[in-house]
Amino acid sequence: MGTLSFLILFPLIVAGVLLVVRNDRARGVIVTVSAVAIAAGSIALAVQYLTGSAVHFEFESEAVSLAALGIDLLISLFIIFVGLKHKQYLAVALAAIQAAIVVWFDLGPAHAIVVENNLYVDTLSVIMALIIGIIGSGICVYAIGYMRDFAQHHADVPDRRPMFFAVMFLFLSAMFGVVFSNNLSWLFTAWEVTTVCSFLLIGYTRTPEATNNAFLQIVMNLAGGLGFAIAIAWIGTQFGTLELSGLISLGLSGAATVVPVLLLAFAAMTKAAQMPFHTWLLGAMVAPTPTSALLHSSTMVKAGVFLLLKLSPVLGLSLAGHWNVAGITVQLVGGVTFLMCSLAAITQSNAKRVLAYSTIANLGLITACAGIGTSEAVWAAIFLIIFHAAAKSLLFLCVGTAEHHIGSRDIEDMDGLFTSMPSLARFMVIGIAGMFIAPFGMLVSKWAALGAFVDSGNIILVFLLVFGSAATFFFWAKWLAKVTAIAGPASDLEASIRTEEWASIALMALLTVLAAVAFPLISSAVVVPYLGEIFPAVSLAISQGNLMIMAAMAALLAIILGSTLGRARASKRDLPVYMGGVGISEGVTAFSGSLGDATPASTRNWYLESYLGEGRLSRIGTVVSVVLLICGLAAALIFGSVM
Amino acid sequence: MASVIGFLGFVIFAPVAGALLAGIDRRITARMQGRVGPPILQPYYDVRKLIEKDDRSVNAVQGVYVAMYLMFAIIAGAIFFSGGNFLLCIFVLTLSSLFFIIAGYSTRSPYAEAGAAREMLQVMAYEPMVLLVAIGFYLASGSFDVSAIATTGSPMIFSLPLVFLGFVYVLTIKLRKSPFDLSTSHHAHQELVKGITTEMSGRTLAMVEVTHWYENIFFLGWVALFFVTGSGASIALAIVVAAVIYFLEILIDNNFARVKWSAMFESAWLVALVLGFVNLIVFYI
Amino acid sequence: MSFATKSPWIIHYAATSCNGCDIEVLACLTPLYDVERFGIINSGNPKHADIFLVTGSVNEQNLPVIRQIYDQMLEPKVVVAIGICATSGGVFRECYNTYGGVDSAIPVDVYVPGCAARPQAIIDGVVTALGVLDAKSAAFAQSKKEAS
Repeated sequence: MGTLSFLILFPLIVAGVLLVVRNDRARGVIVTVSAVAIAAGSIALAVQYLTGSAVHFEFESEAVSLAALGIDLLISLFIIFVGLKHKQYLAVALAAIQAAIVVWFDLGPAHAIVVENNLYVDTLSVIMALIIGIIGSGICVYAIGYMRDFAQHHADVPDRRPMFFAVMFLFLSAMFGVVFSNNLSWLFTAWEVTTVCSFLLIGYTRTPEATNNAFLQIVMNLAGGLGFAIAIAWIGTQFGTLELSGLISLGLSGAATVVPVLLLAFAAMTKAAQMPFHTWLLGAMVAPTPTSALLHSSTMVKAGVFLLLKLSPVLGLSLAGHWNVAGITVQLVGGVTFLMCSLAAITQSNAKRVLAYSTIANLGLITACAGIGTSEAVWAAIFLIIFHAAAKSLLFLCVGTAEHHIGSRDIEDMDGLFTSMPSLARFMVIGIAGMFIAPFGMLVSKWAALGAFVDSGNIILVFLLVFGSAATFFFWAKWLAKVTAIAGPASDLEASIRTEEWASIALMALLTVLAAVAFPLISSAVVVPYLGEIFPAVSLAISQGNLMIMAAMAALLAIILGSTLGRARASKRDLPVYMGGVGISEGVTAFSGSLGDATPASTRNWYLESYLGEGRLSRIGTVVSVVLLICGLAAALIFGSVM
Repeated sequence: MASVIGFLGFVIFAPVAGALLAGIDRRITARMQGRVGPPILQPYYDVRKLIEKDDRSVNAVQGVYVAMYLMFAIIAGAIFFSGGNFLLCIFVLTLSSLFFIIAGYSTRSPYAEAGAAREMLQVMAYEPMVLLVAIGFYLASGSFDVSAIATTGSPMIFSLPLVFLGFVYVLTIKLRKSPFDLSTSHHAHQELVKGITTEMSGRTLAMVEVTHWYENIFFLGWVALFFVTGSGASIALAIVVAAVIYFLEILIDNNFARVKWSAMFESAWLVALVLGFVNLIVFYI
Repeated sequence: MSFATKSPWIIHYAATSCNGCDIEVLACLTPLYDVERFGIINSGNPKHADIFLVTGSVNEQNLPVIRQIYDQMLEPKVVVAIGICATSGGVFRECYNTYGGVDSAIPVDVYVPGCAARPQAIIDGVVTALGVLDAKSAAFAQSKKEAS
């Protein structure tokens, strides 16, 4: 309980301090020390609770509930104010409706409801806490160096770093709130705080584009929040409880929880950027890179899938014994998002957009797993969250650093990174490999997801996954190939990379590899016991033996490539490449043109735009998912009481 | 015990069988073209010669990548023949292909890069069908383990006829046979110099050849798995069928001109979607 | 006998050839002559080839090309000059723009005369080249052994 309060309150205090600290060096020290403290706190929490069963805390506090209501209202007022200022009336309307519902509910029906366990800790929330505490604070440390460079590169943007770092830490605090709150009202407050934090971070530069995208984000997430608020009111008035655990046990005992569960899942899917709400996460790319890293790996979108996983027992079919309209909707939206965004990623050459599409696709996979809700699906989803957090933050940090040194975030410009920024390129290779190939975790988890999909009896989902994962191979492989191409003589652009950046990048790389090697152990010691508490019987799509084989291969690969690729220097025995006999092998690949002039040979990757226009895929995905959501909600409202 | 025999048998004898198969392939191809053709052991001679050549390459890492390509192809096949998890061996094989692609890209040669990009497209083209084969086996036998699939009472072909057809279709891509020999090609059919292998020479190219031997035996093992039920007779039948399928691939190779990448990609996905869906839906009804 | 002689792969380059010899080189691949009987493959890639067949004489334009292809071939390797132009410059020998035969650019091991050289002569030249290749292979293996 002490550690838990520390994790929620400490970042909050740090955020307050950072808001007033103007000195660069002092800020650096505060951020580093607090990041280490938060990481240590989350590890301490893991030591206490990682393998035990869920602990609910009988912690009643009227004061906290009042504070939560106050924060809700403050947020709404803030959004209304900013919305009016920027003439974003949709945001204003959504915030106003939400505030009305919250006030009505909290002052009326909520008074009669006694919430016994406001806070809790279970294995899943500890895993999330580790991700937030280690990866999230690692990104904050990275941001120290990055934002210093950013301020120099963008002299036109007002330097608002105190606010930036304060919001980063506020974000961490809110995320801890999300993963530890059993009281849905508290959860809702923390949820809305993360929305506002991303709003502030996305709009950091205050350019018209940034502001527009920030509003896009907040409108979508307010719509989700509205769903959340209605769900709370529904649950409170219908079932007389406000506890997440209570809702789940009600659902399992056969109560008609389909509508509120679907509303909560809807809120979670907006936050997890599922289609049709994927555009906000793409728009969020205008923010400085640490923001993207934070949003994609350890916070915001992970809050969405975390809630979905919490709800998975009542979404899925394993416990209730029959199909459930909320579950089917979530499965299909996730599956469609996975396929469409994997295909869309092929058409992108902007590294950050590729990462964004890949994030959305993977969240789609996690969402689909949560919708299935069997033990093997949830197993896959938990590991997808873990591996995605590590590998994706690594990739964002690498891209951010590369961008500051080669002046581009285009994958085509990363040709030659292997020689010009050798260490960074190798880290990037670890990240990319971590995202899509055996024996690294993401692929293994995807394999488990495939097994779970096949067993779920939803053949459409199986096909969505099969084609989507072929697309995944293509877009990652072509990026990886660009990064590993050895073009040009060795030059060194790495000297000016800051220590904080190296430290966080190395940490993420280490986590990616370690997680892959320790996979069997994490599974058997942590995740399987956890699933055993939720599900009557735990079946796994992948046997422990096969996990061991994968882990052994990961270790083997790390050793071989780590020891051989380090010395990839040019030697006297190197031949120039074949250029039809007219090559000019002075550093770059070039040939002698028809007039004897040196013509550089360059190749571009495949983007398959003729098949996969980004706009077209997005339209198809949006239409399909909107139809699914509307049909799902309608079906839940009509048949909800009988199903 | 059987798994150890399968494991060692593949590691040791697959290259022998693969080399002979490649030699017979070239001989039959020559006969189909009205020629005499090289000796059956020609692929072996080629590899021995390549090993004797000078050891130079365009960079220091290409050889490492190609070695990984070979190593993971062997591991994938060994997992298969020792009765391991079928999906696991698909993923390891994909890893192996990825190393081949990176080896091509690492040279930064336009020819090799074009070939490598096509290889990447080929992987994307055949991957859905290959995964559907695995899913089909699972639905029909209740297990992803090759040992379990191979010992179910009735052969897989009875429940997966369309999946088998679809697999034979993408097998042409995997065996790098015309009309789908886009990334690189055998014998005299050239594609963009030598496509992905343009910059590979000497030992590195020898490793590529040996990997192809392993791969071909491995893929024929997949064909055989559709017919094996555990009895000796079924194994004999499976070997005959695998030989017939390979002959069919040679026939296709010699009768079709190379197609555009888009035709390969579209047709492979369409085949996977239609044949896969029609066949697998049966298990869900 | 080294394995090089059992698997000679060829790269064929037309310098200033009138294409008469080139047609005859390609004729060797046809079913009638079927050089693949000897393991010969027309690889079209210096990185893979053991034998360099050149047709036509050498001039300013193709001199660097011939040299580059030759340099990109891995040891052991042999060069066969096909046709009278390649062996000596032929009727173009005295032309102001012609350097002469292939040996004015790179060392040549076997000369196959003729205008155009007949397929039989080309095959005979390649088989003669195999003898040279064998000797070079042995020398190369020896030097590798000494170096290690």
